[in-house]
Amino acid sequence: MSEIRRFNSYHRILHVAMAVSFIGLVASGMPIKYAQAPWAIWLTKFLGGYQGAALIHRICAVITFGYFAAHILYVIHNIVIVRKLKFNPLGPESMVPWIKDAEDIYNNFKWFLGLGPRPRHDQWTYWEKFDYWAVFWGVGMIGVSGLFLWFPVFFSKFLPGWAFNIATVIHSDEALLAAGFIFTIHYFNTHMRPEKFPMDTVIFTGTMSLHELKHERPLEYERLAAENRLKDYEVKPQAAWVTDAGIIFGFAIVLIGFFLLILILLGQFYY
Amino acid sequence: MKCTRLAVLMFSSLMFSLAFTAVAVAKDDCYSCHVQKGMQGYIDKKSFEQSVHGGLDCTKCHVGMSAYPHGKVLKVNCGSCHFLGREGAPTEKALEYKLSVHGQALVAGNTAAPNCQTCHGSHYIFRSTDARSETRRENIPSVCSKCHPAEFEAYSKSIHGKEFLDNKNPAVPTCFDCHAEHRIPRTNEAEWKLALIKQCGNCHAEELNTYHKTYHGKVTRLGYTTSIAKCSDCHGAHGILPPSDPESRLSPKNIVATCQACHPGATANFTKYYAHAEESNRAKYPVLYYTFMFMTVLLISVFAFFLTHTFLWAYRALKERMEKKGGE
Repeated sequence: MSEIRRFNSYHRILHVAMAVSFIGLVASGMPIKYAQAPWAIWLTKFLGGYQGAALIHRICAVITFGYFAAHILYVIHNIVIVRKLKFNPLGPESMVPWIKDAEDIYNNFKWFLGLGPRPRHDQWTYWEKFDYWAVFWGVGMIGVSGLFLWFPVFFSKFLPGWAFNIATVIHSDEALLAAGFIFTIHYFNTHMRPEKFPMDTVIFTGTMSLHELKHERPLEYERLAAENRLKDYEVKPQAAWVTDAGIIFGFAIVLIGFFLLILILLGQFYY
Repeated sequence: MKCTRLAVLMFSSLMFSLAFTAVAVAKDDCYSCHVQKGMQGYIDKKSFEQSVHGGLDCTKCHVGMSAYPHGKVLKVNCGSCHFLGREGAPTEKALEYKLSVHGQALVAGNTAAPNCQTCHGSHYIFRSTDARSETRRENIPSVCSKCHPAEFEAYSKSIHGKEFLDNKNPAVPTCFDCHAEHRIPRTNEAEWKLALIKQCGNCHAEELNTYHKTYHGKVTRLGYTTSIAKCSDCHGAHGILPPSDPESRLSPKNIVATCQACHPGATANFTKYYAHAEESNRAKYPVLYYTFMFMTVLLISVFAFFLTHTFLWAYRALKERMEKKGGE
């Protein structure tokens, strides 16, 4: 049975780069944020002292800027070259939030409360769009404030020294927001919710079953079927080792994430 | 020969008495000479008897003194009691001294290194709470200044030194409070550097608290001391002056150079960093305060919305799954 392609290899590689660098950033950054917590001391030692942790943090930051830039280039290439500017930014294939997303939020809450049917989704749900734009916001805020803190002497040519106090607050709280969000809400929405439990491997393998497309994204299925484009997305199922590698990698990342989440929660209790 | 017999008897009685006194030279025997003013090794009997060692026989410290005239007086080794706890002598401080930079130098053969007597004196040792003690708190800077005149000079001009020496305020730190009394660690010991930060915080609690909120403070809190600013890196050590003093390391004249010690190329703009920022202080740090408020509201809103979303979703999804199973 053939499968439906949801993510291409470029998407999948960028997501792996993102997951690995994000874990690295959280693991090497949180001991500084929660320096008063006993676990921060051994985690820092494990990462090679504070200078080792700082090096890991900077390497992962460079990877982050790299995948971010790679994605921007991809989007430009996709819209300008592949789609020859024939792309509706407010359409169902766009990541831009629009009226349908607001309706879906409202209807999804109604469904949660047993007051209506489950909303029918297209290619990108509102929580997926939120995850997507949160990365722009997060990389923007954490990345810019992080560069300030990385090169304070350079940036103090244009900014007063107290800008680094502001940058510290933004960097630290945005990091808590990002880590807290990814390790709870993103994990639940994509992996832990009962329909997906224990893991949705689509981001690792790139493919999902036709049944899943019909069930999860009926509007996309109907749209592709009506436009006779389903065949464009049909691919052979991934080799078993690809799926297995995806599961192993995904589980490792999810478990490390949960572990870091516990450390963060513990850190909140030490003052 | 009667003469010979008498001589033998007298000689043997002398030998006998000498043998006897060898095991018990009374203090009074020593006093009989050493209380005479101008005498080498003069003893002020009254003061000595009131000192902490006043109850001890002279020979407890001056070992090997068994007869008159006594020979060369050996250097007194306080450790024979204070390292070993003989005669009920307290050992704790002496053993700390042994580990100190002073004690280690002495062990290594540096004869100029201070021993016990250098600071405590010899015969007139009193408790440090006694006004007659060499090592009473008020006298510590002058004791240390004997070997460390440059440090004393800087300290005596500093905000701590002026308060201590001129205003006679015993609560401000003096040499001992930072250098740990007998323990006096090497100044490159990481453990000591970390302890010093806490030491400053004993009086400057708010500054320690705000320091711990900065990257500098967080790194030292993790136990690292290299290439990271500790209190003394910015404020100085012996010669701490208020920033309003032009000679202070933090005065407008000097602060750029102080920051440049770790941040080469730092400018006046750079020094506008708040090394002791407090985000809850709206009056003093308004931009920081509002940034912190904005971030707090953002975090609470995002988590409140999505956690509600997640819990309701989990509830609905589990319910549907159970209903499905029940229907099957």
